Amino acid sequence: MDRRFKARLEAHFEDRLTGPVRQRHDETEIRIRPGDVVPVMTELHDNADFRFEFLADLCGVDTGEAMHVVYHLWSDTTPDWLRVIADGLSRDDPRAPSLTFLWPGAEWMEREAYDMFGINFEGNRDVRRIYMPPEYTSFPLRKDFHLPDDAARSPGAGSRHMEQAHLPTDTPSATIRRLPGSRQLPAKP
Amino acid sequence: MTTTQRPSADDPRILLDQEAGVFEPIPPYPPRTEREAEFYTLGDGEMFLNMGPQHPSTHGVLRVVLKIQGENVVDLDPVLGYLHRGVEKLAENADYHQVISQVDPLEYVSSLFNEWGAVLSFEKLLDVEVPRRAEYIRVLSAELNRIASHSLFLGWMALDLGGLTPILWSFIERDEIVEMLASLTGQRMLFNYFRIGGVNGDLNHDFMSRLGNWMSRATEQIEAGQGLLNENEIFVRRMRGLGPIDTATALRMCFTGPNLRATGVPFDIRRAHPYSVYPELDFDIPTRSEGDSLARYLLRMEEVKQSLRIIDQCLHQMPDGPVIAKLPRLLRPRPGRAYAAVESPRGQYATYVVSDGTDQPFRMRIHDPSYIHLQSVGLLMKGNLIADTMAIMASLDPIMGGVDK
Repeated sequence: MDRRFKARLEAHFEDRLTGPVRQRHDETEIRIRPGDVVPVMTELHDNADFRFEFLADLCGVDTGEAMHVVYHLWSDTTPDWLRVIADGLSRDDPRAPSLTFLWPGAEWMEREAYDMFGINFEGNRDVRRIYMPPEYTSFPLRKDFHLPDDAARSPGAGSRHMEQAHLPTDTPSATIRRLPGSRQLPAKP
Repeated sequence: MTTTQRPSADDPRILLDQEAGVFEPIPPYPPRTEREAEFYTLGDGEMFLNMGPQHPSTHGVLRVVLKIQGENVVDLDPVLGYLHRGVEKLAENADYHQVISQVDPLEYVSSLFNEWGAVLSFEKLLDVEVPRRAEYIRVLSAELNRIASHSLFLGWMALDLGGLTPILWSFIERDEIVEMLASLTGQRMLFNYFRIGGVNGDLNHDFMSRLGNWMSRATEQIEAGQGLLNENEIFVRRMRGLGPIDTATALRMCFTGPNLRATGVPFDIRRAHPYSVYPELDFDIPTRSEGDSLARYLLRMEEVKQSLRIIDQCLHQMPDGPVIAKLPRLLRPRPGRAYAAVESPRGQYATYVVSDGTDQPFRMRIHDPSYIHLQSVGLLMKGNLIADTMAIMASLDPIMGGVDK
């Protein structure tokens, strides 16, 4: 844990932090609003006191109530990993600014976060599906997307047969199309 | 969303009745993004060429749509997902011990690093102290795995350039290491060896005698294998200056590992953010300044020598003691977050895990270096010949198991 780094972060981003700076093991964590991502990350990258030149990771997290975008950064000015959590994206329409202007390499990480969580990155010129087929309509890593055989956490709790498929709950009904003569599944309880 | 021309593939009420295995380079729907619109608009004299997903030189099931003008590649668009298994989702539905075997097939030529990333983050979450002997065994087996992975890289790279001999030679090397690790772990490829708090079994006689035999002639053998290519004029002249990338661009494209070090940045997680017992071991971080395909190749060969040094030191410094910490079968870490990165043969392999207090990870993110490096192929490819596509891709060394997760 780098206590001085914590003090520097607090002094520098005082008004932009939405929670206390947390430290555990070799990680330092700050929370910001999604609207502050661009100024904070630009400052961390460009400021000679911070010099965070490595974007170690970018990912989405669905807590069930809100979406987060989590950034991990590395710099030679501190022995800690810096974790920046952009907190409180709405689950209905998650939007976050893109980091591709600083790190063009963030493009695919943002595409993945879009593919898995539906987070729209504004400013990324290529936000489209990357793993799932283009016709796919739901976002698999969201918490309301249950695996068909996820007996542990679904309402079925073990009674559902593995092969019985059901629609992901975040699929908009307008996007569901049926082929004539296709098999009909029973409606969801 | 844009209009869907075909029914949704994830709608379980629909039986898809389509031709399989036909890959049109031009997607049958209007472009969804600015970049897609730009790519799928042909300029004067340009055409599309579909490569893959069953192309031998794509190292797995990668499909690449090339936009070509004559013999030159103007731009390309990798299409992923043919090997996507949803490991992150599977990990959320498995308990902490089961995750180790789920992450094994990601970078299937260096599985120990995948396991290491996962167990390292779980250990941080649980505040577990790993016995020193276990740490040394981890370093020893992982460095062996690194050599196996790099020698496979040597073979593949030559194969993509049309040389058949090096892959036969490097498979001899790799096979010996893999058999050695099989006697240690019980598996040849998907080891499932690391455990939270240690490793699954202690060093055994079979492993040690094989390792001793191999170490006595490893340097010689590896140099013989490299001599096939290092002094091959056709190979060197073809690779030199091919697909160069400069330091600033490499940093901005989030490069790590040998691909970044080939541009002159001595960034290695083992030194930049030390884990395990690497601070106690003496090794160098080779760098090169050219940043082209030849530099990336030569750098990996340098790394093999450093790995041999590390293995040698591990064998001399191996302490006695237990190989696994005492932990309950059911792990329920306190709610929290942990991030851990290891230096895999391809770069930074990182795991970010969020716990909510249950015995399953609430969210597990896997950051794979192959995925990051593959997105720069288009950048490095512009203006090169179609035949160089494979050479450049091979020099970045992506593994599709890791790219597609």
